[in-house]
Amino acid sequence: MNIEFIIDGKLIRAHKGQSILKAALLNGIDIPHLCYHEKLSATGACRLCIVKVNGMYKASCTEPVAEGIDVVTYDEELSMMRKELLEMLLAEGDHNCLYCHSNGNCELQNYCYQYNVEPPAKDLPKNIREVDLTSSQGIKRDENKCILCGRCVKACAEIQVNFVWDFAGRGSHAHLTSDMYEKIGDSSCIQCGTCVQLCPTGALSFQTVLGRGMNWELKKESSICIYCGVGCKIDFYTNKEGKLVKAMGNDEGPNKGHLCVKGRFGFDFVQSNKRLTTPLIKKNGKFEKATWDEALDLVASKFGEIKEKSSPDALMAFASAKCTNEENYLMQKFMRSVIGTNNIDHCARL
Amino acid sequence: MNKEIISKAINKYGREREHLMNILRELESLSEDNYLDVETLSELAEQMNIPKSAVAGFVDFYTMFKTTPRAKYVIRICKSTSCHIMGARTIFEEIESILDIKPGEATRDGIFYLETCQCLGVCSVAPAMMINYDIHGNLTPERLKKIIDDYRKKEPVDGEACGPEVEGKKCIIEGTPQTKRLLENVGVVNPLEIDTYVAKGGFDALKKALGMDRGDIIDIIKDSGLRGRGGAGFPAGMKWSFVTKGDMQKYVICNADEGEPGTFKDRILMEENPQALVEGMAICGYAIDASIGYIYIRGEFRRSIIRLQKAIDQARAKGYLGKNIFGSSFSFDIFIKEGGGAYVCGEETSLINSMEGKRGYPRFKPPFPGVTGFMGKPSNVNNVETLMSVPMIIEKGADWYKSVGLAGCTGTKLYCLSGKMNRTGLVELPMGATLREIIDIHGGGMKCGSKFKFAQVGGSAGGMLGEDLMDIPLDIDNPMKHGVTLGSGVVLVADQNTCPVDFLLQILSFFEHESCGQCVPCRVGTSHLHAMVKKFAERKASISDIDLMIKKAELMKKTSLCALGQSPVMPIVTILKYFRSDFEKHCDPSHRCPECESSLTTYYIF
Repeated sequence: MNIEFIIDGKLIRAHKGQSILKAALLNGIDIPHLCYHEKLSATGACRLCIVKVNGMYKASCTEPVAEGIDVVTYDEELSMMRKELLEMLLAEGDHNCLYCHSNGNCELQNYCYQYNVEPPAKDLPKNIREVDLTSSQGIKRDENKCILCGRCVKACAEIQVNFVWDFAGRGSHAHLTSDMYEKIGDSSCIQCGTCVQLCPTGALSFQTVLGRGMNWELKKESSICIYCGVGCKIDFYTNKEGKLVKAMGNDEGPNKGHLCVKGRFGFDFVQSNKRLTTPLIKKNGKFEKATWDEALDLVASKFGEIKEKSSPDALMAFASAKCTNEENYLMQKFMRSVIGTNNIDHCARL
Repeated sequence: MNKEIISKAINKYGREREHLMNILRELESLSEDNYLDVETLSELAEQMNIPKSAVAGFVDFYTMFKTTPRAKYVIRICKSTSCHIMGARTIFEEIESILDIKPGEATRDGIFYLETCQCLGVCSVAPAMMINYDIHGNLTPERLKKIIDDYRKKEPVDGEACGPEVEGKKCIIEGTPQTKRLLENVGVVNPLEIDTYVAKGGFDALKKALGMDRGDIIDIIKDSGLRGRGGAGFPAGMKWSFVTKGDMQKYVICNADEGEPGTFKDRILMEENPQALVEGMAICGYAIDASIGYIYIRGEFRRSIIRLQKAIDQARAKGYLGKNIFGSSFSFDIFIKEGGGAYVCGEETSLINSMEGKRGYPRFKPPFPGVTGFMGKPSNVNNVETLMSVPMIIEKGADWYKSVGLAGCTGTKLYCLSGKMNRTGLVELPMGATLREIIDIHGGGMKCGSKFKFAQVGGSAGGMLGEDLMDIPLDIDNPMKHGVTLGSGVVLVADQNTCPVDFLLQILSFFEHESCGQCVPCRVGTSHLHAMVKKFAERKASISDIDLMIKKAELMKKTSLCALGQSPVMPIVTILKYFRSDFEKHCDPSHRCPECESSLTTYYIF
């Protein structure tokens, strides 16, 4: 903390090389921003975070802190400028919160509300961009809600390192491309969903979400992913009916908010009606419902028979990565000390 | 396109992403219909091991590339301001009727494809067009017909075989009192023979510089008062001194992406005296301790590219480039990188991104290129005219250089004259010539039947000068006091036939076309401004739209990431200073304006 300067009359300490925006956010001062995201390198494209630095206009996400500067983050003029920039964004796209899954969870909507932005004039030019709601099993794309902030491009490049997204076109005709102008479902996208999680509007969304509950009705519960050893922390959202709607990476886990396709989308089995809820025992060639006691007694007696007739080594166990470490430990302990064999293995990952 | 052709092109230029532009240009010229199909691009991405999306985004950014079939010859008609007021519309209508196609269409026989384009850098011979890479100027309907007929018979040409009327030395105004320093050797030195340059004392300055201390060279450049000639006017010596010092690789980059409508000075310098640029870059390289120089040049300038390459090759052969130049410990070499049709790449950080094989998005500053430039290494970017002024300063001294010009803006300046004057072309005058002097003496007065209406100085990003500013010195500082700018030295003169609304329509359509689209105010603002001025041209605007236009342009000035988005406010405000009443008249739906009507029917498809 070797640099001291002023933001809105308050003395702030920051590290050399830090941006003004970052220093402000760390000190609880909020400056509006849309293209900046703490997980990504700075872009400087939305210009919403412009502040006055010693009276000069500077984008605070890209302007480094400097000793003794005087930063103003909010005054009437800056507020007017931000309002006009937001009006430009609204005019450029087709933003209708009524039909948007991001309604209530949209950074653009929040700022438009905060800055009292009016609907744009009708005669301003728009460029109709790609809408692709069906090609991918996981991800929907409606670029008319896109503000070209570039978070998805950077999410794919810097976090997932898959480089599916980039910008194509130029100027007012700029738009996104996935791979070689392909549909997202035909591209090399592996559907990790990181771009969707970082999208500040409803331009990118998950197939599972729309119509399954308003954002403010969803309840969030954090859990650990059951698929592999990384142990990603996931926030699961359930709707009023108790149905799971979406999985978002939790920033506090070892995954720092990132998920893979399994953690992101592989949760439908939880509430599947095909899921087994009681043990089944095959009688006369057909599975019949049984109690746990019946089932365990049967397994124990069969295990005993095999062990007696052949040897402990005639038995083996294969444990699952979906179980916890503790459950897996118990499994091998059971095989080694109760059954008496070292025939134990594990599927390692799913 | 088969895999072998693609891998051959990659092997020719190199596998690194920075060679993408040249490889794509080669592949496009090898395709029969001047385009790059997506299968070829995908294969290229695969072979070069760069993301497909990056290649897709790159191709889509530069206007010279297309992913749908065109034709054997792509005709690009310039519609920038100089060509526009010199009759581009007539040429456009004529070519449409000769070929019976609209822009974006190919003739049925697959020979010609029609496009509009922005400034080709031959504004003194406007109106102009480019067929593939062959530029033609002084177009008239008759000439156009002949050129098209010739093309039906011949094979594509390039470079030296380009229209002779656009060759550098033909675009210089002779016989008026000038102070020729940069132009001194034009016509004397053979641009294709380095020996003729050496015979005139060429490379003496480099030899002298190599015997000097690096710091002393920078001090001399500082002392000379040389300021950047690209448009911003930043002191060159100061810029050199900002380059990070140390053992890392450093670069000298010459900005030869001359694209400001009305500007053609750098092209002439590179075509006629390319050796001086090589020498200037080598001196700069020595001063900032760089061992590699790059010239980023517009892809359209084929003749310049060929002559520069020849000058570089000859300099290398003679030992003026390469290892241990003049037996010193200094080694330096120069390579050419080409642009692909993007005005924004004249912005130094966009230029660097483009050099790296990326979309020409400007980078935010800081860090400045002097700290983090090409490939993340310290790089010094200067304009052609700036770098070519360096050898003479080293040779003759700072005091000599300062002996002409004004106190804060020393030396000579190349002024690019175009528009309705008797003579158009390049003149070299002491910094601070007035508009009156330029028009009356060098331009030979207004064309017969033309009356001066206004001049746009500084290019499309510059402002309008009326009668009241005829006598201000056109240096770097004085115009600013009057809300205008010298920019790159464009003097475009319009007469009574130019409608200010129509003229602004061309300017704002240019900015929309050239905005990179990265930052919100410029991407959306340029599109809105274009739509708003079009409303005036269509006589559908209301008077309040005038102030809305200014308000929007002012927001763009305050908030845009780079100079492109910050520019439109100047032409808008200055044209309204003189011609607000014309805009008001255009609010009346019954008002007739043949100029606007003609532009709307020519350039817009309804």
